[in-house]
Amino acid sequence: MRLTADERWNLIDEISKETVSLGEYNETLRDVLGEVTVKPLTGIPVVIAVLYAFWSVFGSFAGFFTDGFFVKIFDKHWLPWWQSHFPDTWSWLYYIVVGDPMADNCFEAFGMLTSGLFVAIGVVLPAVFIFYLMLTLLEDVGYLPRLAVLMDTVLHKIGLHGYAIVPTILSLGCNVPGVAATRILETRKERFVMMTLLAIFVPCGAQLGIMNDVIPDTMGLVLLYLIAGYLTTGFILNKIIPGKSPEILMDVPPFQKPLLSNLALKIWMRMKGFFTDAIPYVLLGVLVVNVLYLAGFIQWLGSALSPVFVYWFGVPEETAGPLIAAFLRKDLAVAQLSVIEMTWYQMVTAVVLVSIYFPCLATFMMLLKEGRKELLGSLVVLIAVVTIFGGLLHLIGILAGVA
Amino acid sequence: MKFGSIYFALLGAATLACGFADLIVTISKDAYSLGIMEFPGEMFRGGWGGLVVIFAGLFYLSGAKNVSEICQLSKVVMGSILIWLIAGCDLLAMITESIPGGEDGWFNTMGGFLGTYAPPYTPAMVLLPFSMVTILYIYKAKGS
Repeated sequence: MRLTADERWNLIDEISKETVSLGEYNETLRDVLGEVTVKPLTGIPVVIAVLYAFWSVFGSFAGFFTDGFFVKIFDKHWLPWWQSHFPDTWSWLYYIVVGDPMADNCFEAFGMLTSGLFVAIGVVLPAVFIFYLMLTLLEDVGYLPRLAVLMDTVLHKIGLHGYAIVPTILSLGCNVPGVAATRILETRKERFVMMTLLAIFVPCGAQLGIMNDVIPDTMGLVLLYLIAGYLTTGFILNKIIPGKSPEILMDVPPFQKPLLSNLALKIWMRMKGFFTDAIPYVLLGVLVVNVLYLAGFIQWLGSALSPVFVYWFGVPEETAGPLIAAFLRKDLAVAQLSVIEMTWYQMVTAVVLVSIYFPCLATFMMLLKEGRKELLGSLVVLIAVVTIFGGLLHLIGILAGVA
Repeated sequence: MKFGSIYFALLGAATLACGFADLIVTISKDAYSLGIMEFPGEMFRGGWGGLVVIFAGLFYLSGAKNVSEICQLSKVVMGSILIWLIAGCDLLAMITESIPGGEDGWFNTMGGFLGTYAPPYTPAMVLLPFSMVTILYIYKAKGS
């Protein structure tokens, strides 16, 4: 039996008359506070405050462990121990495992067991832990759906809806669960736009942690460039990619007290991925980069791509090495960039390039799992974006007189 | 509740002034001290943080009239929540700064540790005790 729209509404009215009883409800303070966080006029200031608190706690916590303790452990004890105990200082094996024998800190040594472990445990672990703790808190308190409602209008401009904020925020922890979370979006167009933007413009927690340590003063500018790229590329993709971006109805739950057991379980589940995926990839990344250096491949690539790096992007040709490392781990690449001599603006450009250049191997595999066609499309967009965006950054630098 | 309206209007004006001062000092790029209060001249705490303090002030001012009404009270509470967020972050930054030692040792000396908590404080930390009055109004609202 097919019903017309009017008949359907009448049926709904009849059912609701029989099943819904109306009474008086006194709004509680919690209800009203919930509304305040959803209305744009009052909700946006709250978003700005929540994001401030998020990054402030992130910086304080990660800085406490990394600068306060891990730098001392790795630079004063771990690195000297390996340098004095590993045999045959000038051998290729020493170079791969311990790194530069003259280095006095783990950022410069670049050995598998020195810089590799320092980056993974000393820098990235505290950053990823605090990121997931904050994210889980926001999720369990009930703030994330409110953020989705507030972001709905902005995200509609780039062909997505409010819930696209969930994969975006998840990607700030790690791109892999972020890409997996794009499945909550309804259409192929939405999923493609989201995956492409995540792979290009959203830095992971590991990368943010290392940026916070290596370029704390210019990190804001890097993030500003990435946000601008996220929005403009999304806007363009929305115009050129065929397909629909449907409206959705969102259920906003009331604010609630988070349960400690839930928090612990969620954080553990998210951190488990870090231990099994990130640490082996960081060590593998250092190994591959060191082997490529020893084989002379990176030096060759640097000089082959030199015109592009120097004249188009305005960065030193030595950045070719970190760009290769970025395919394995982007945090590792930023750590590598920190020891290359360049101006502050070149550093900003190089870090932005590392961020928007090829997704890391784990994300690449995840994109492949979502579909070859999508991956290929994302890569085409990526190459175009890197070329245009990189050149644009150089141009901005020249016009501002800082490049 | 008339006392509440006057109190939160004054607190709102003071908070707003602190927020604007934060922004002005950030533009001038040099930290500025005023009694036990110090306005940080850096972009993150002074600029972004200052903006949040301005929002807190606006919440207080818009909620000050008829603070006994639940909608108005919710604005005052939100203003206080913003102050608690900023002050909490400043306090956490102080704690994480006070524990590790410098180049020489693992942990800070007792003098260095206690010295971190000495004035000057950020505007949000100075405003923190005054914002606590909101808790009293939350309990009153729950009771009624």
